[in-house]
Amino acid sequence: MPDAVSTNSATTKPLPTTPKPFAPEDEAALREALKRCSPSTFEAAVQFRKTGNPEHVPAVVIGIIERFVEPDLRMKLKDADDDLRLIEDLGIDSLTMMEIVILVEDVLQMSINNDELRNLRMVGDVKTFIDCKIRGLPLPKPTRFIPIEHIGAVMPIQPPFLFLNEASVSSTAANGKYKISGQEFFLQGHFKDNPVMPASIMLEALGQLAVLYLLEGAPTEPGKVVSAQTIFFTGCEGVRAHRVCKPGDILTLSIKPKRMKMPLATFEGSIRVGSEKAVIAEEITLTYAFVDAANAPVPINGVAHNGDAINGKAQVASSPTPLRAAINS
Amino acid sequence: MPRVFITGLGFITSIGNDVATVVRNLRELRHGFEVYPPFQKPDIPCKVVGTVKDFATDSTDPEDWTFPARYRIKRELLRSMAPNGLFAHCAMLQAIDDAKLTDADISNPQTGLYAASGGSPFLTHYHHERLQKFGVMRCSPLGIVASIVGTLNFNLVAAFRIQGASCGFSSACASSAHGLGYAFDDLVLGRQKRMFVVGAEDGNLDAILPFAGMRTLSLQTDPNIASRPFDAARDGFVATGGGVVMVLETEDEVIRRGAKPHAEVIGWGQASDGYNVAISHPEGSGSAAAMTNALRSSHVAPGEVDYVNAHATSTLIGDVSEARALRAVFKEETKRVAVSSTKALTGHGLSLAGVMESAFCALALREGFIPGNAHLTKVDPECAGLNIPRTTENRQAEIVVKNSSGFGGANVAVVFKRAM
Repeated sequence: MPDAVSTNSATTKPLPTTPKPFAPEDEAALREALKRCSPSTFEAAVQFRKTGNPEHVPAVVIGIIERFVEPDLRMKLKDADDDLRLIEDLGIDSLTMMEIVILVEDVLQMSINNDELRNLRMVGDVKTFIDCKIRGLPLPKPTRFIPIEHIGAVMPIQPPFLFLNEASVSSTAANGKYKISGQEFFLQGHFKDNPVMPASIMLEALGQLAVLYLLEGAPTEPGKVVSAQTIFFTGCEGVRAHRVCKPGDILTLSIKPKRMKMPLATFEGSIRVGSEKAVIAEEITLTYAFVDAANAPVPINGVAHNGDAINGKAQVASSPTPLRAAINS
Repeated sequence: MPRVFITGLGFITSIGNDVATVVRNLRELRHGFEVYPPFQKPDIPCKVVGTVKDFATDSTDPEDWTFPARYRIKRELLRSMAPNGLFAHCAMLQAIDDAKLTDADISNPQTGLYAASGGSPFLTHYHHERLQKFGVMRCSPLGIVASIVGTLNFNLVAAFRIQGASCGFSSACASSAHGLGYAFDDLVLGRQKRMFVVGAEDGNLDAILPFAGMRTLSLQTDPNIASRPFDAARDGFVATGGGVVMVLETEDEVIRRGAKPHAEVIGWGQASDGYNVAISHPEGSGSAAAMTNALRSSHVAPGEVDYVNAHATSTLIGDVSEARALRAVFKEETKRVAVSSTKALTGHGLSLAGVMESAFCALALREGFIPGNAHLTKVDPECAGLNIPRTTENRQAEIVVKNSSGFGGANVAVVFKRAM
């Protein structure tokens, strides 16, 4: 979020690269602080405090979250799915989140601002957030709900060839929905008297969600944004259709980046209808490129892009400037 | 006017953590005192406490606490509790069980909860120390709701999904008697159909020791003679913690649910000394007025009262003051009305005392006995003229009065009747 970043620029400064010497009394305090966490959490914390190596951070953070989750829900965390939602799946309320933060601050010797917490919704958000803080990188963009107006404003693809009604994007994934209305022009001929959503169009819809991710969720370099004009399809692998989709069906789409290395971004994607699997794509690869943030075009209808929909709170920092231009300025 | 019945009780006390044990110890006059390890230091003059057994709450971290396995409490609830919250939560579970209440009976706009505790000086101290040492941002977000006065109602109302009236009462040692009185009023006025009345105290060093500064605690080292209300050799009160819950219901609810009441509450009264911040009025004027008001509102003549469970805490001034109040109210009946203080067995539960001893009265009415005044060797001449049984009398009382008094000269009297 622009506010989370702009109001807390001080918190994004890197931690000292050489960690403070780790004394035996520090170890005793750490052991006490983590006494209800798994031994591996404690070990990872010791390693981090001795070496400052951010590789150990995810184990510490997950170990601390686990300690605050009711025992019967901890199994969910074992699989460490980044999409696991803190509130809905793990029963973590805002007070528990505060307890987690206080312990993380104490153990990793960092400080976290309240404003920064509001946007952490999934386990992946937390891991990425802490990792960015430790490495002194810009804070990640949180999971945001993107309404249809904004999708239309930022996407190079436009109706009648846009197959997303709504979407949410985080730094680690994007999810979207599309309802097959029956009015799609190609359904007149696909097939005769039997409208069926073409599998190629469903693959296109996943590709469009990946485009939205590149524009709204993907990490960028300082001062750069992904240019909508540079994104093109290059290939896909392992595509299978499992279910015939017809007018009235609501497609639930999700993509996750597997590899991001300029100029190629590879995603895995899936479409479900309710709980039924419809389409799987093991790999969808797009090309993309950065442009300078200053030269990036402004979205056509300039929807205020300040996360009101999620935070339910007006933000003074909002401006008509697109998020991706503002975020690293 | 709707009648009000006591349909459920729960006890975590120094003389027992269930109804059966409490009844046995009341009948057999077995006390709950122990030499209290945290007091065994040269600079701490008092040594004995009415201890809560089978609970270990001496850590500031609720997840370290141990308590009987029959109580299962999620971390999410435990984390905002003080020790008195844990005691009360367990007593709530017992009382709900005892009254056979369903979830729907507990959580509805017609069921409320009034609570009283002195908060948790223990946790207040801990959190303030952290605040000063590590800064406010390293303090537990739940430090406040676990510590301040009101912690009991905050926690219980949330944990048990109470939707009716709720608040806390703070009149020191009269607090939970006030809670009981106002709960009775809400039922009589038709505002509620069911009320939980809760009293609880930590009963640990931080809660008790400040009273030594007032010179009101007994300095006895022998648990067997430390608390002796009305005795000439008494030298102060022995403190205790724990939690007691009472379920009050209107007659309609009792009939609808087919509940078996322990006793009936038929009225209450209160009055203030208007005299001193901490010392009882020498003639017990407020206490006498409270009893008179209670009897009048209950339509009971002094001659109909069989037993008074006295406030008498075993302090020099307080017991005499109450004895004078009793003589003033009961006049020629004084020699007949049985008076005893069960604090000789439990110790003084502070905010907990009123509802705990009211619950004892309900048990005495249900079981048909009048608890004796334990540890009474020689009655203080100033308390002469009272009928203080030294052993338990196995006879059925019909009307019982419970006295409570708190700092500032707040006095409450509640009148109970055998359930019929």
